[in-house]
Amino acid sequence: MSEIQHGFFRHGDNSYLANFTEAEREVLLNLVEQIIELLAERVDHHNEDPLAAMVGITVHDTPPEDEVLLRLLPNAYADQVDASEFRRYTESTLRQKKQAHAMAMRMHIKAAVDGIVELDHDSANAWLGAMNDVRLALGVRLKVEENSQQDLELLAPDDPMRGVYAVYSWLGWLQESLIDALMDESQ
Amino acid sequence: MPKVKSKIEVNEKLDEELKAIFSGDVPWVTIVWDDPVNLMTYVTYVLMELFGYSKERAHELMMKVHTEGKAVVSTGSREEMEHDVARLHEYGLWATLQRGDQAL
Repeated sequence: MSEIQHGFFRHGDNSYLANFTEAEREVLLNLVEQIIELLAERVDHHNEDPLAAMVGITVHDTPPEDEVLLRLLPNAYADQVDASEFRRYTESTLRQKKQAHAMAMRMHIKAAVDGIVELDHDSANAWLGAMNDVRLALGVRLKVEENSQQDLELLAPDDPMRGVYAVYSWLGWLQESLIDALMDESQ
Repeated sequence: MPKVKSKIEVNEKLDEELKAIFSGDVPWVTIVWDDPVNLMTYVTYVLMELFGYSKERAHELMMKVHTEGKAVVSTGSREEMEHDVARLHEYGLWATLQRGDQAL
């Protein structure tokens, strides 16, 4: 039998299905766990003011130095003073939401022992957010800003970034298949 | 001591600014910036989901981001725009907010 790639497709009213191979599940799991780990690296230092910690104010008022983290947790203002103030009050919530997307995706992949993942509208949105964060992270490493798509397509077979680009492209295709399935509903 | 002036310049802009000072309702805007990673369909979908825009409206805004590098996707109070930016960041769109009367 020929293996036809479908990605996600709509299955009934509020159900979106995809059938992943063992290798695909492993790649997805690996990527999503790296995002969870990366976000966890930027821990809050709650030691200074317990009340601030309770209401989610962190002492992070400077942007992350790591390029990938900076793309995942960007500044909300061009003005540095405003950006710092906003970050102090909101960054930990943003990290928690991104963690929640990634953890939902991890849970679904782990539960899909037969390879079939079934999502409803809300979990589909979590997947989209998590897949997008993975693509943003890979995009920073692949320097998609400077390199054209053609440059990336023509990476030498022994270039370690070639495999990364293949995963990045595949993930874009998978993300698009889920969006198509979701948009189909609105028509 | 402050310097005083014996003349004023009156124009439409002044009128608007004075109004804004007293009413406190200078509109703020949320801007989405172009990004080489985010898929066009994804940006459209996120704008539909978060703001309840029609597919046509969301597509139009996405195209503006894509071709002009940025687009104002929502307008309102500073607090409302901070909320919008936070939600856009949650879904990985590159967004900032600023006063609506400042140059983009």
